[in-house]
Amino acid sequence: MTEVESLRPLAAVAVSAVAILGILAAHRRPNLRESVTLVSATVMFGVVASMVPGVLNGTVYVTRLGEVVTGVPFVLRADALGILFAVLASFLWIPTSLYSIGYMRGLDEGGQTRYFASFAGALSATMGIAFASNLVVLFVFYELLTVSTYPLVAHDETDEARSAGRKYLAYTFGGGVAVLAGTVLVYVAAGTVGFSAGGIEGLTGGAGTNVARLAFALLAGGFAVKAAVMPLHSWLPDAMVAPTPVSGLLHAVAVVKSGAFGLARVVLDVFGPDAIAEIGAGLPLAGLAVFTFITASVIALRKDNLKRRLAYSTIAQLSYIVMGLALLKPAALVGGLLHVPAHAFMKLTLFFCAGAIHVETHTDRISRMAGIGRRMPVTMTAFGVASLGMAGIPLLAGFVSKWYLLAGSFSAGNVVFAFALLLSGVLNIAYFWPVVYGAFFETREGSDEKPVIDANIGGYWSGVADHYAGGAFTDGGHGDEDDGGWKKPGWRGGEASPFVLVPILVAVGGAVVIGVAPATVYFFRIVRLVVENVTGVAV
Amino acid sequence: MTDALLGVVIALPVIASVVPLVASFWREEIGWYVAVVALVLNAVLIGSVVRSFVSGGILSHEVGGVAVPYGIELALDGLSAPVLVVIAVVSVGTLAYTRTAGPRSNSFYSGYLLLTAGLVGVTVTADVFNLYVFIEITGLGAYALIASGGDGRSAYAALKYLLVGTVGASLYLIGIAYAFVATGTLNMADLSARLADVGYGDTIVLASFAFIIAGLGVKVALFPLHTWQPDAYSASPYGVAGYVSALVSTVAAYALGRVILTVYTPGFLTANPVVSSGLIYFGALSIVAGSVLAVLQTDVRRLLAYSSVSQFGLIVAGFGIGNTASVFGSVVHLFGHAVMKGALFLTAGIIAYRFGVTRLDEYAGVARRVPYAGAAFAVLALSLVGVPPAIGFVGKWYVALGAVRAGETAVAVVIFASTLLTLMYVARLLDRMYYGEATEAVADGGGGTRVTRGMVALVVLASVAVVALGPSASAVQETLALGEVLGG
Repeated sequence: MTEVESLRPLAAVAVSAVAILGILAAHRRPNLRESVTLVSATVMFGVVASMVPGVLNGTVYVTRLGEVVTGVPFVLRADALGILFAVLASFLWIPTSLYSIGYMRGLDEGGQTRYFASFAGALSATMGIAFASNLVVLFVFYELLTVSTYPLVAHDETDEARSAGRKYLAYTFGGGVAVLAGTVLVYVAAGTVGFSAGGIEGLTGGAGTNVARLAFALLAGGFAVKAAVMPLHSWLPDAMVAPTPVSGLLHAVAVVKSGAFGLARVVLDVFGPDAIAEIGAGLPLAGLAVFTFITASVIALRKDNLKRRLAYSTIAQLSYIVMGLALLKPAALVGGLLHVPAHAFMKLTLFFCAGAIHVETHTDRISRMAGIGRRMPVTMTAFGVASLGMAGIPLLAGFVSKWYLLAGSFSAGNVVFAFALLLSGVLNIAYFWPVVYGAFFETREGSDEKPVIDANIGGYWSGVADHYAGGAFTDGGHGDEDDGGWKKPGWRGGEASPFVLVPILVAVGGAVVIGVAPATVYFFRIVRLVVENVTGVAV
Repeated sequence: MTDALLGVVIALPVIASVVPLVASFWREEIGWYVAVVALVLNAVLIGSVVRSFVSGGILSHEVGGVAVPYGIELALDGLSAPVLVVIAVVSVGTLAYTRTAGPRSNSFYSGYLLLTAGLVGVTVTADVFNLYVFIEITGLGAYALIASGGDGRSAYAALKYLLVGTVGASLYLIGIAYAFVATGTLNMADLSARLADVGYGDTIVLASFAFIIAGLGVKVALFPLHTWQPDAYSASPYGVAGYVSALVSTVAAYALGRVILTVYTPGFLTANPVVSSGLIYFGALSIVAGSVLAVLQTDVRRLLAYSSVSQFGLIVAGFGIGNTASVFGSVVHLFGHAVMKGALFLTAGIIAYRFGVTRLDEYAGVARRVPYAGAAFAVLALSLVGVPPAIGFVGKWYVALGAVRAGETAVAVVIFASTLLTLMYVARLLDRMYYGEATEAVADGGGGTRVTRGMVALVVLASVAVVALGPSASAVQETLALGEVLGG
């Protein structure tokens, strides 16, 4: 690997940080303000994408900026794993910004300047996380991500939103504290916190097994908070109170993926698969991941609020990544890492669809969405395609990563993991299918109660049929206003604003492309390069 | 030549403090101008002294040419240089703030200059009795300034501080008296050599240490000796609260560190593990108790006062651990906390002068009306929590590193947890400021004649500095050469 001094990693981080000032300055001119966001998103993606060919060839781009604290250099480093995350986040910021414009204007939301400025700050912090060259720099940007996403979570300023924001702060700062403690332990044990493919030399030897286990537990636990591994996950469903584009990008792509990314760095570049196998930390983490995705999928079955169901789906799918990392075999690592972009495109599509439904029809509950396929055909088709991808149907993104995860579980020898994966695929279908079926094949009058969702646990049935009979209920803010049967839009649209539809199509298109032709997509090649560098095995 | 300046930087504010009182026979309102000239000049002199330390190493000066150990020695090394810098910066900054915020009486500025003289004196002196004298001068200046609020509450707070502070200073005096009885000298360097000769396990040495620490602990406002602080900070004018909170406890903590590290040396701590554990656990107790008490507060100034208790717990724990990393962390945090806490009080002052609100629930929605001051407040508060790369994080990192290296796991856990503890009250404050329906007092827009753009610019500058100084802190580690302070 050749290191090249370059300003591009710094540029990627700085572009949107500078954009914050532009957005704040353009406070009174919404079109100018939105153009600042779009321009900086495009520039950021351009900078990051320009580094991809070099990284695939083995070049690593480095910007040196002095020291954070003594002995820890402040260096931004675009290596394969970092570029994977950076390309994903910067690419998806572009459609998300377009979608935000459509969403926020469609709902005539207040506080838009704060929203767009915080978004830019969050992306800047995400780039910093991706390009961090050591645990301390990662921690710096990790905390800055928390600070910049808090205003987004609490955006609505209702009591529910503020309480969700405070919970978010408590959980993520708590995770940050654990990461800091683990970082200090690693620094004292190994003398360095820099990432090196395959693990830091002498970390387990110098520290002794118990200290190494403690450091791993702290680091993994700290990152697991943001990666929503159970039992540290409960901030995520509550954070769904945020506007949908926030839920989408940040909670399906940037925030939770930064937790998964941090875990990937710990597993691959701080400890290394061999050291983790040595201290016996892989199996407990994998077990926790399996528990998470089975439990979250079961809970998702019972959620009537669409965004909450998607939240639990995210919790489950993230644990695929965690499991892939924890199994330590090359194939499993490829599967886990590839699921990062695969899940991102699919989940973003799903969230965008949920948001489009909310903007156009003010419907948030699945039980109210019977027949909505008539009103929003493109949206629901995209939703259907993305759901199939989540379940792991071939020719869609989710299948490729699942294939590798299965291969990895078999090669790890523990068949339990493979069965758990297959079971969760079935559960995925179980909780997405009713939405798609209801949208296209049911009508308002014809839809009936679903025992799995509506019955009380334990079997005592009290007839919870009011939300089907059109009875009054509160929806957490936007009541169900558009009631009289769905109207079919004209063929030219009117389904939803193009600002909302185009991003949906981009996201679902990406999911399809990754599924149909994975080898052509840069993500796959980058992931294989990462795993090859760490394990020496070409998958 | 420059070492003689060490004496000048003390003498100048002292002499200048007389001028406003004398001049008040002819003009009122001249105090601020005298103070500006004196303190800016003082800051320049401090700058040159520090620069000569950076290039030439430790400075030392014998006052009046009388040889040590009979004479008084003034010195500047890596432990005192940052404190001196922060005194220079904060004294001028707060002075600029009080131009509009007031009070503007001549006697106020006399007291201000006297207080500054006392602070500088504590920092540069190398004689333990001289330290007592300057601590008392600092105290007198602080009592007078706190009482300048003019109402019954400030008088009560000042009286409380006077009584408690005098007890503290007296305990310190008893402590150095025992040390003098044991060794016959009052010069710090001499004392440290002679104490080693007497033996670190000797009763009189231990007794003197205990009294000194108890006395200085009152001045630093460690738990449970902190009771004067919330009243003092909440009853005085905001400029005074900012100044006192930024510097008075800071130099007392510096004095604590100086006594522990230079006079008694880490050798004393190693010889008496009970002592070092005691210091460390007292620090940890302050961290926890201060934060918990801060969460319970409804008045913003009292919240900030208890927050100081917590932060100084961290600093004292760092001194108690005694290795290079943790001492450097304590020094960085001394500096950083001074800037952060001072600026937080000044910002609270801007909000209070503009809207007349001092309680947490009255702060609802304030940040929307004063966006820049609100942003500065948020940045400073988050830096206090320890969000990197601000300076609040850097101090914490080094102290935690030192704690882990020294094997002090319990304290390390408390230090890491202190982020969450601080977050408890900071999150409440920020949540209230940014979200929530504004009360009538705030919604009306406020009467704000006493808030100028300069005041807001000052606190914004402070918040920028707090973030910018974080990464640069590690660059000064070599210059400070704290290893010499610890080894010698």
